[in-house]
Amino acid sequence: MSEKRIRMVEKSNKRQRVKLVHKFSINDHHDVLVEILRRLDGPSLCSAACVCRLWSAVARNDSIWEELCFRQVSPRPSLPLRSIVSALGGYRRLYFLCIRPVLARLPKIIWSREQLQLSLSLYCVHYYERLHVGAWLGDAPPSSLMFLREPVNVV
Amino acid sequence: MKRGHEETWDPTPHPQPPSGSCEGSSMTDNIINGKMADDNNNMDELLEVLGYKVRSSEMAEVAQKLEQLEMVLSNDDVGSTLLNDTVHYNPSDLSNWVETMLSELNNPESSDLDPTRICSDRSEYGLSAIPGLSAFPSGEEEEASSKRIRLESVGSWTDPALTRSVLVVDSQETGVRLVHALVACAEAIQERDLILADALVKSVGTLAASQAGAMGKVATYFAQGLARRIYTNDVVSSTVGPSLEEALQMHFYESCPYLKFAHFTANQAILEAVTTARRVHVIDLGLNQGMQWPALMQALAVRPGGPPSFRLTGIGPPQRESSDSLQQLGWKLAQFAQAVGVEFEFKGLAAESLSDLEPEMFETRPESETLVVNSVFELHRVLNRTGSIEKLLTTVKAVKPSIITMVEQEANHNGVVFLDRFNEALHYYSSLFDSLEDSYSLPSQDRVMSEVYLGRQIVNVVSAEGTDRVERHETLAQWKVRMGSVGFDPVPLGSSAFKQASMLLSVFAGGDGYRVEENDGCLMLGWQTRPLIATSAWKLAESPRE
Repeated sequence: MSEKRIRMVEKSNKRQRVKLVHKFSINDHHDVLVEILRRLDGPSLCSAACVCRLWSAVARNDSIWEELCFRQVSPRPSLPLRSIVSALGGYRRLYFLCIRPVLARLPKIIWSREQLQLSLSLYCVHYYERLHVGAWLGDAPPSSLMFLREPVNVV
Repeated sequence: MKRGHEETWDPTPHPQPPSGSCEGSSMTDNIINGKMADDNNNMDELLEVLGYKVRSSEMAEVAQKLEQLEMVLSNDDVGSTLLNDTVHYNPSDLSNWVETMLSELNNPESSDLDPTRICSDRSEYGLSAIPGLSAFPSGEEEEASSKRIRLESVGSWTDPALTRSVLVVDSQETGVRLVHALVACAEAIQERDLILADALVKSVGTLAASQAGAMGKVATYFAQGLARRIYTNDVVSSTVGPSLEEALQMHFYESCPYLKFAHFTANQAILEAVTTARRVHVIDLGLNQGMQWPALMQALAVRPGGPPSFRLTGIGPPQRESSDSLQQLGWKLAQFAQAVGVEFEFKGLAAESLSDLEPEMFETRPESETLVVNSVFELHRVLNRTGSIEKLLTTVKAVKPSIITMVEQEANHNGVVFLDRFNEALHYYSSLFDSLEDSYSLPSQDRVMSEVYLGRQIVNVVSAEGTDRVERHETLAQWKVRMGSVGFDPVPLGSSAFKQASMLLSVFAGGDGYRVEENDGCLMLGWQTRPLIATSAWKLAESPRE
């Protein structure tokens, strides 16, 4: 596509004043960018989020992560799930906290309802703990998911 | 103290023929004589009327000695033998009598009452139980080196200058010796041979200190329990407040999968039972921090057909005056419920013991709601009083639950014979500590606290008796019999629960040793080959039983 553009520009350069051709920049079309990013896998998505600040911001779009979480699950979970997961902290956090460590541990896993339910349960526990539990646990961050992974800073 | 006309009475007490009537006659003699006492000798008049001669100046001293004596005598093992075998001294001369009783019970050669020295040439049982002395030997006390201890016989330690160093021996060998020492000590207690038990518990302390890893920790806790059983009769563990208990259980929740397994499998059973209900009421017999319920609420929220309205009645220990932790917990759960969009109602019940509960307290609405009763590690506590468990199960039956979910430890720690209980507990907690050991490469606060949590259970199983012993675990088979006799039928847990549990364990760090087994409709989680906890579900029996 860029070649065509260059040729177009060249062509138009040959005429007098170049008519300003709007370059198609993906950065202007966030929805298209989102659509593309939705099809990526985890590591690629993380790389994409490191490209520039714009892409990093776009990559925080939760629907991308929702796709990533539920790509292998069939049938697709119901719609109420989305509001619940959003309330609990969003799909991105769910992916980082619960799903990615499981995938790392069991790469060949076939996601069924049970596995999904388990991940969600763990996520709920984490949320509950984070917000509500334990002044007497001191300032330690909630550690109910420590058994899954090494600490990852999830913003 | 000696009066002129008291010739019948020996100044230094000699053994007199033991007989009650003899004592009685000497008592009356003394009473008669006492009436003739003059005040110059400063005898306490009130006691004199009863026949005891105690100098007023010596009252405090005598009282203290009497206290010591009472403590020693209240130890049943010692007291009964003393009463049966010992000669009775003239108790009228109270001061001397107490003196001699005490000196007989303590080591005759050491007036400083050193408990580490035991005379072997005494024919009677004796015990140097001194209040305030630490029963569990710490590192700085003199210990016989482990090599010198023979487990079969107890020699007399005549050499006071015992070496302080602990020999470093091969840990494999120490481990085996440790187990042998523990079992031998328990056997000694079973046989009421407290001298031997006393010696052995000290040797266990030494061996345990030199043993690294899970075995050492387990042995330390068991030795603590044994020492408590030998030396004192008070159960100190009950003085810990409920909030510490809950904190310890939280750490246990974090560091190993047992509680998570329990919660998730119980939740799955509940979910399957309430699939069509519009209103769900759960009675949780031990609310603790309510960690089980967020996951259930979320699962209810996403079920097809929309969430039911969820009502939770949580039962907890009696509240201290200033805190109202049950209500606060209810509030936290309500906030969570709001986040996930589930209609929520909470009620907290504070009960000292579960058997105090009555069906009316739950305010059930049988026509509109589906009732669930959930108990995680709570039912075994009720076994400490006879009749309590039957009352509790009758109460549960009276509220007509649709399903009862029950998680209990899979071990028999409620046998009548102490030695059997001890051996069972040793195996059980060794497996449990082993599994903790593997789950983290570095010790963390969670793991340390979990060990403390389990250690308290160990001490309770080993040293407590009667109503103080609340850790009365029973196996699934025993619970099945009990539930069946009250009128409950088992509900098999589905494959979903099994799959969830398997996945939970497979992602658990160090999860290679954990095993999930299905046992006739119930799920068991174990470490290596040993099942450790069991989840089961029950419903009211179809046909009424007689």
